[in-house]
Amino acid sequence: MAILIKKGTSTMVQGITGKNATTHTKFMLDYGTKIVAGTTPGKAGQSVHGVPVYDTVQEAMDNHPDIVVSSVWVPARATRDAVLETIEAGVRTIVVITETIPIHDMLLVRKRAKERGTTIVGGNTSGVISPGRSMVGMLPVRTFTPGRVGVVTRSGSLLYYVANYLDLAGMGESTAVGLGGDPVVGTNFEDILRMFESDPETDCVVMHGEIGGVLEEVAAPYIKQMRKPVIAYITGRFAPAGKRMGHAGALIEGDMGTAESKLKALRAGGAHIAETISDIPRLVKELT
Amino acid sequence: MRLYEHEGKELLRRQGIPVPDGTVVTDPDVVDWLPDDFFPAMVKAQALVGGRGKAGGIVRVENQSAARRETERILKSRIHGYEVPKVLIERAMRPERELYLAVTIDRTRHEFVIIGGSLGGMDVEQASREHPEAFHRIWLRPDQEVEPYMGRELAHRLGFRGEMLNKLSDVVVRLFRAFKAVEGKLCEINPLGVLPDGNLVALDARFNIDTDALFRHPELKELGIEGARHEEGELTPNEQRARAAGFPYVELDGDIGTFPGGAGFGIAAIDLIHIYGGHAANFMDSGGAPSQDKLRSMLGLLLGDPKVKVIFGARFGGISRCDDWAKAVVQFVQENRPKKPFIMRMTGNMEEEGRRILEEAKAKDPELFRNIKVYPYSTPIEEVVKEAIEVAKGKGVV
Repeated sequence: MAILIKKGTSTMVQGITGKNATTHTKFMLDYGTKIVAGTTPGKAGQSVHGVPVYDTVQEAMDNHPDIVVSSVWVPARATRDAVLETIEAGVRTIVVITETIPIHDMLLVRKRAKERGTTIVGGNTSGVISPGRSMVGMLPVRTFTPGRVGVVTRSGSLLYYVANYLDLAGMGESTAVGLGGDPVVGTNFEDILRMFESDPETDCVVMHGEIGGVLEEVAAPYIKQMRKPVIAYITGRFAPAGKRMGHAGALIEGDMGTAESKLKALRAGGAHIAETISDIPRLVKELT
Repeated sequence: MRLYEHEGKELLRRQGIPVPDGTVVTDPDVVDWLPDDFFPAMVKAQALVGGRGKAGGIVRVENQSAARRETERILKSRIHGYEVPKVLIERAMRPERELYLAVTIDRTRHEFVIIGGSLGGMDVEQASREHPEAFHRIWLRPDQEVEPYMGRELAHRLGFRGEMLNKLSDVVVRLFRAFKAVEGKLCEINPLGVLPDGNLVALDARFNIDTDALFRHPELKELGIEGARHEEGELTPNEQRARAAGFPYVELDGDIGTFPGGAGFGIAAIDLIHIYGGHAANFMDSGGAPSQDKLRSMLGLLLGDPKVKVIFGARFGGISRCDDWAKAVVQFVQENRPKKPFIMRMTGNMEEEGRRILEEAKAKDPELFRNIKVYPYSTPIEEVVKEAIEVAKGKGVV
């Protein structure tokens, strides 16, 4: 089972002729990800590592109606356009690798995705992996091992370090997901926690949150309803004093956004708190 | 990115929201050119930091000589440690009451929100806790335009009637348009003064805009608003050098320089160093797939910072490949022959190639690389953190 991507999931790479996308298309193919199409406007007819390139997402879909996942590698200023095009073409899951997407663009894209029932992971995500089956993004695959822990992190590098610690302790992941580091992202913790809760191959979930935003706080009530244990690791406890956004931030978000508020909410939701990364495998062993 | 008050006021003025007559001054001599009927006036420190009034950065002056004296004083002062590069001198207003008005992004609902308060001015957060009934909100979906009825609704809820309802409604609509026009994260007028004749005037302006959207706002560039500022305050010299080289950098006061790869682990590294008993000297973020030039300037900042005793480095190669990282480290060491120890770890994509590059360089000049340690996948990162802390304390291997 796993979540979001499975063995043989047909995927597409948008912006495939770019330098990074080309490199990581090779890495994804080597890992066994089934990439059936790529797009770059104006470059139809080319191929990248044997993957045919199309001008439009619709053209790719017409030729490969089995596409359900796309990864987006286009420049930040072209991302709104690329993602809206992909939502309209009916792709179910869109993994947005691109970083520094304008916030107002992302709010609009997110809204359109919710209306159409599309899942957007990112922007600024390093990707999604169901170890041993498929990887979409730019993850260092060696550190991810098949297993029964669901992992979801705000930060890409923390995704790698958590998997690294699980691997060194002899454990692995059902699926690992980077939510993305941009200020507004398409999917929040609760969305992913719900998927893990109903995934028969996941026994427990490790979530990494960090200071800023309210994604951790708003997930806490759902954690309370979950049957599966959740281990939470929050970074930024000793980061320099936060940059408050005027009074409006406080008027809307109250005291949310700090490490203390996240830890308090997650504890109240029944999450098990890891103080360091090395606490995580220990807690997983205790709880499963 | 935060804007100066006078920049925010200019943006409000362009949307048709009244602001006091004023002028921006960097040279006290200019004050002599102000006409006598300009006074009484307010002299306001322009600094990218809150709490200016309580720190003595905002004063009322009755005449030209007082204005000159206060301008000189404020330009030489620091507000919460930040320099004051300019002051705004404005005609003083006598509002009968002060309101609060802001537009921002509600990150729980992922919508825009207009907030109005009938109690504005200093201590508005306290006022909102003690009198939540005085504050009202109108939410707009990301694809929704502001309509006059929304302004009327907010004004009505704030207790305004008759002509005042229309006046406030108009400012609400214009503020939302200002927010959308600059792709704001926050546009706040606090206080919005109500004058004896019923007219409204923005007595302060706080704008925070999305740096990632600046590329499509040439009109802001024309105002001198470009991507080189903190949310709060201006940059320290190290932070300026980092910005010029294209990466975020936050100066801290410890002795362990962190060269962490991505922002996420950069934040985690500061925590881990603290938890295991050390002190980080900085935060920085290479971003995805940094160039070798960028990596070398990151190391250069740490090497040149006298408070840094040891450089803790980590590369978990995803989009940023280990071979590129190793090449940058090797070239940096060969060019700079650092005396400071490097305690680092490298793993991830292209790790074998990266390790080969490091080993070859080391074989060529073992003495030069004696203090450069680069641990592999099998050494957990927290062990590397602990070693860097020991080395900073003068213990350990080096």
